[in-house]
Amino acid sequence: MSKQGRGRAAAGKAKKPAKAGADEKSEDIFQAVILADSFQDRFRPFTLETPRCLLPLVNNPVIEYTLEFLASNGVQEVFIYCGAHSENIERYIHESTRWSPASAISPFSSLEFIRVSDAHSIGDFLRDLDKRGIITGDFVLVHGDLVSNIQLDAALAKHRARREANRDACMTVVVRSVGDQPHRAAKARGITPVFVVDPTTGRCLQYEEMHPLQSEHYLDLDPAVFAHGEFEVRTDLVDCGIDICTPDVLALWSESFDYELPRKNFLHGVLKDWELNGKLLYAEILEDGYAARATSLQMYDCISRDVLERWTLPFVPDSNLMHGQTYKRVKDGNYVEDHAHSERGAKVTQSVVGRGTTIKAGSVISGSIIGRRCKVGKNVRIENSYIWNDAVIGDGASVVHSVLAGSVVVGAHCRIPEGSLISYNVHIDSGIQLPSKPPARISLLTDDGQLAPTDASLVGPGGTGALYEVAADEEDSDNEDGANRDPAILQSSLIYSLEGLNLSTSSISTLASEQDDYDTDNDNISLAGSAQAGDYFNSKARDRLSSFASDESGSKPDGDFHTDAVHGLVDALRADDSTDFDSAKLEFMGLRLANNASDSAMRRAIAVAFARRAAELTRPGPGHGALEPTRAAAEALTSKKGAVKFVKEVGVGGDGVAQQAEFALALQRALVLLLGEKKEEDPLEAGRAGALLAALLQQLYNRDVLEEEGILAWWADQRAGESERMGALREKCRVLVEWLENADEEESSGEEEEEEEDE
Amino acid sequence: MAPSTSSHAPSLDNLIKSFNSQSLEASIESLIFLLKRRQVKGDECAKATAHILRQVVAKAKWRDVDELLSRVQSVGSRLVRSAPLEPVIGNVVRRVLGLIRDEANEDRNADDFGSEAASDIQSLTSSTTPHPLRPGPSPIRPSPSALSSGLPVSKSMFNLLSVKAPSASPVTGASTPLSQAQPASVHALRSEVMDGIEEILDEINQADDQIAGFSEIQIHPGDYVLAYQPSRTVERFLVKAASKRRFTVIIASLESPSPGSSESPYAALRKKLNAAGVNTINLASNGLMAYIPRVNKVIFSAKAVYQNGGLLVDSGSCVAAQAAREYLKPVIALCPVYKFCPEDPSDEVSRGELGSPGSYVSYANGPAVDALDIENTVTDYIPPDLVDVYLTNLGPQTRHHLASILADHYKIEDIGLSLQLGEP
Repeated sequence: MSKQGRGRAAAGKAKKPAKAGADEKSEDIFQAVILADSFQDRFRPFTLETPRCLLPLVNNPVIEYTLEFLASNGVQEVFIYCGAHSENIERYIHESTRWSPASAISPFSSLEFIRVSDAHSIGDFLRDLDKRGIITGDFVLVHGDLVSNIQLDAALAKHRARREANRDACMTVVVRSVGDQPHRAAKARGITPVFVVDPTTGRCLQYEEMHPLQSEHYLDLDPAVFAHGEFEVRTDLVDCGIDICTPDVLALWSESFDYELPRKNFLHGVLKDWELNGKLLYAEILEDGYAARATSLQMYDCISRDVLERWTLPFVPDSNLMHGQTYKRVKDGNYVEDHAHSERGAKVTQSVVGRGTTIKAGSVISGSIIGRRCKVGKNVRIENSYIWNDAVIGDGASVVHSVLAGSVVVGAHCRIPEGSLISYNVHIDSGIQLPSKPPARISLLTDDGQLAPTDASLVGPGGTGALYEVAADEEDSDNEDGANRDPAILQSSLIYSLEGLNLSTSSISTLASEQDDYDTDNDNISLAGSAQAGDYFNSKARDRLSSFASDESGSKPDGDFHTDAVHGLVDALRADDSTDFDSAKLEFMGLRLANNASDSAMRRAIAVAFARRAAELTRPGPGHGALEPTRAAAEALTSKKGAVKFVKEVGVGGDGVAQQAEFALALQRALVLLLGEKKEEDPLEAGRAGALLAALLQQLYNRDVLEEEGILAWWADQRAGESERMGALREKCRVLVEWLENADEEESSGEEEEEEEDE
Repeated sequence: MAPSTSSHAPSLDNLIKSFNSQSLEASIESLIFLLKRRQVKGDECAKATAHILRQVVAKAKWRDVDELLSRVQSVGSRLVRSAPLEPVIGNVVRRVLGLIRDEANEDRNADDFGSEAASDIQSLTSSTTPHPLRPGPSPIRPSPSALSSGLPVSKSMFNLLSVKAPSASPVTGASTPLSQAQPASVHALRSEVMDGIEEILDEINQADDQIAGFSEIQIHPGDYVLAYQPSRTVERFLVKAASKRRFTVIIASLESPSPGSSESPYAALRKKLNAAGVNTINLASNGLMAYIPRVNKVIFSAKAVYQNGGLLVDSGSCVAAQAAREYLKPVIALCPVYKFCPEDPSDEVSRGELGSPGSYVSYANGPAVDALDIENTVTDYIPPDLVDVYLTNLGPQTRHHLASILADHYKIEDIGLSLQLGEP
């Protein structure tokens, strides 16, 4: 009972406390957390003015579905985290008769808003939630754009049973299976989540994401997965973002200060570090029921269709779940609200028409959702479109598969082609034909919320509105690297299309049986592909992306990561007071996660760090004299415990020949760089650098980091000899390589001999 | 470890438990959303309506009969609107309204015999209840003897209280100078009406058993009985009959054994029937025609009966009824009296309720989801001429006698309840 005093919002509700009394026999109060901001801009330009969770989906704000879903599952306390437009969401809830915390009829015993002033990601929300300590037991974490009719009782019961059996079973992810055939919900998602699960227990073993624009259509399975025994790799799941969590989950978020996304960072990371944190995560795979998130315009499209076809029952228009709605199912598959009027001669099929909307004679409307108080003129054609409240469509216009936001005015005889997005209050003059490739996005506002100057050539002399330009790069490049931008592009339009994208046709395989290159060259291929993706949308995007691509290939994209990591590692190698390398390793891994560095960037940083240290040791310095290259290489690698292991696991990052060759190449490049930069203070002459390279390679060979095949592959790689300097270094290793080539017969006695030869 | 103890999903039982701790408005709203979300449906609707109206009578503030009537009407019409395809809700509301009118009428008659004959309520109710002492629904109530024996007592109590009332509370009554019912009698009326609703609830709960009581008359030894998608009412009926008779039941159902569950549909029912020595045959509904010549009678239960005799039933029943018609086999519809609606089927009803397409096509079947337009009607409307016997808890009836049942149970002024549904 004492829990009652906690809810601030419950203060005005004297009648509620007794309700908790009835529940005290159940173990705790059922709490839910709604994340009402996704920190994405896939619904731009609409979300410039309205938050995503208040966009109308079949004439109900999306958050209504989410709240009703929670109510239908008997949730008692709700916490809502809002980011952008938080005041709009709060006002909406407070004005709602059903959800307002002050309302006597609210199904929740408390509903609270939590504002986090400096949140930049979902991770910030959840870390804040952990600090507040308001979560008392198991809770449900959902997003503010969830549409679902599932009953969580079964999943909850399973979750509790698992938690009883094992304290470390801390989270159950609810996902919906959509089969392995092409499916509109699966197609719309852009990013394919890949769950590796144990089919008997449902335990999640690994989580990855794939998308059609990535260069490698492979996933690396963690060796630990194979150790686990039976497992399934599922790509046929739609992730509906419903997580049943224990408070431990929040603690995990707090421990990892750099996690941002609940799936890509958190789920992936926690599963990856399973041995570290010992937490078990489970996936509940639903075979029936409906659950999906309106995460993109394509999902919006897909969910709207599903609602019309009643997959979401009881969340269908004629349930009239929102206060004051009076939808009825009438003939021709229409849902029409009272006081909607269509003249005789208008043909409406498979559509939803809101109150006060008038449709004049001769209009043909099919598969569309029309809000309240819209005016549709004569002989209008509307197909598969979404028209929000108060829109006006002039005589003879045609609208095909587009979104027209609130109070849009479309003049007579306009043509709105497929995929157009027209934001609030835009006015399009009569007789205008909007471009179809790329489909136009028209808004009154620019990306930063300023009023855009009207583009008369686009919307006509009497119109208002301008082409909405996709946001500039800086905005989200801080947490997403180049490869990650691409799926966002796929998701920002209404129509899913890979048209114009240069995709490799290799099929997606989840087993990386063949080693693939993590090389920057490959990154370039994918970026070139995305440059063409940009082409499809507008020329502006293309410029931006291609310049981005050249940046990537020219300089180092992870500049900060590289310098920080190299400094950290070299410092750790230099340190006299400790002999342990573990803390340096931890620091490095943290840095890597924070910067989301690629494998190749890590490899480069490690190679540079060790090469620099080895080069340092060949010169006289404090605490040591000038060492011979062989000694220097051995010293650099072995003075600190765990350093060799670190190089093997992180630097090389696999047992494959290709990775080993890559690492050897990285070492070679690092030494070439050193040749360049060290000149002024203490020249590292080419001869010594070559000897150092040979010595490092040999040491790595002796310590089983590099294998014979790896070094030979490097030798054969033409990039190893591409420049004069590189060639010179490579020549120095000829002896080593030749020896390796003959090593088969004299493997055991090779070490001493080799040292002789080198010197 | 028992996970079932902590079920959070709202249900009718949970709602009834929470009545005492929740405000009336919150309870009503909870029920409305349970109905809208279809978490309460079918036979539960009638019970839920009776429960909530009992709360309205008990908790709402009302000073006289008219106020009570309008409260019940407004709550009732909200409930009816929230589930337009559950006509029993309207029936129960009408029954409660009729009950209130009856009780008030007796009250007044006992107060001063006939002096208010011109009052509106009196003039309207007198047409259906010519004898003021005869409570309208009592002849067909499950326990008429209990009711009639209780009546004289309460009547004299009323007399006692209402006579004393003016002298006992001279000041408080001042605000309602024209009120026909006195404050003290309001109290009595409240408990009278609540008792009446309790009786309606009893009737609803006992209806299935009472119908089952007629089973041995309807089913003869050696019969082949086709039960189409047996509901709980039909199940009880068959099990009761099985205790007396030896016959064969053919269970027809839409659903093929679902791959998920190993149990065939209606396994529990079959087990019970087999235990009693009755053979059962399971049948997919599309093979139904082949068995019809062998069948002696077709039995299903109705969700509602309209005044023209038409039935609202689970989808597929209409095919069974039509097949039976072709072979001149009798069709027996099990329908408790509370399912009789004093109105004609609405457009929405005759078009049928649409369910989720998920029962025919899995959402995981992508191409089908994309390409097909799936309409899964979950209710059928059976025209009156296909039904031979309406087996109510008062005994078997034919279509021609439905009017008298309706007249016995509903007041004329309440029949137009659906017309009173205005804007929300």
